[in-house]
Amino acid sequence: MRTLPQIFKPPLLLLLLLVLAVIYFALDPAGFSFFPKCPFYWLTGYKCPGCGSQRAVHDLLHLNFRGAFHENPLLVISIPYILGGFAFDYTNLSQRIPRVRKTLYGKTAIILVVIIVIAYWILRNI
Amino acid sequence: MEYFITDGVSNFGPFTLDQLREKNITPATKIWYSGLSGWTPAGEIPELAALLSSTPPPISPPPPQFSYPGINYAQTKPPKTWLVESILVTLFCCLPFGIAGIIYASRVESKFYSGDHQGALLASEDAGRWTKIGFWVGLVSVLIWVVFVIVTALNGGNFENFTPNF
Repeated sequence: MRTLPQIFKPPLLLLLLLVLAVIYFALDPAGFSFFPKCPFYWLTGYKCPGCGSQRAVHDLLHLNFRGAFHENPLLVISIPYILGGFAFDYTNLSQRIPRVRKTLYGKTAIILVVIIVIAYWILRNI
Repeated sequence: MEYFITDGVSNFGPFTLDQLREKNITPATKIWYSGLSGWTPAGEIPELAALLSSTPPPISPPPPQFSYPGINYAQTKPPKTWLVESILVTLFCCLPFGIAGIIYASRVESKFYSGDHQGALLASEDAGRWTKIGFWVGLVSVLIWVVFVIVTALNGGNFENFTPNF
């Protein structure tokens, strides 16, 4: 279990994640009004970069990548990057290929991530 | 006012306040001016406080990178940046906290590769703090929402008039 992310170590969090996966697999957030709402969308009428994530997760759990991409493309595009980041953080990959880590997750990459998130935020509301 | 400073052997001056500013005095530098009974550390003279705060702290040299035989892995990799967790927080709940986490992640990287390992560790702690705050704020908001939904449903309300799900 040493390679598992710290945040997933407590069994309670793992259980929570499992319960959420079951809920989001069984129920489509678009069809039930009791799923949490985005406060930013509620206040401004504009989508935030995370808007559509709940429906996208529902689609992903049903292996409906096209639907997930329609709900929140940034989320779908981020998945390989996030998995790669976890791999570098929690395995010895970053010791074996430190230069790749620095290129993909170093300072320049992080600044690019911020720019992409903000550009996406603006563009999806135009 | 004319100030004199001493290094313990000789004394220098007189200096005006502006000239004193250029001497890079520290709180331990001994100062004398007409009216003081003796040499006094600059840190104990209130009117020099502004001067001292604009003096940069001494620079600690970066630790040697490869002074050990073999490769010291601890120094080839920055401390945890929390970048991935911050992105997840940005996408799933709390954009401001997530963005703050991402900004600190970049500071972890830049400080680490400029040789400031201590600063990198501090930035790493900040990044982790913002990410965790985002996580818990999100979780608590959802729990409050769930309680609100249950209470409304028990009172016979419905949610169909609410905003669409986002």
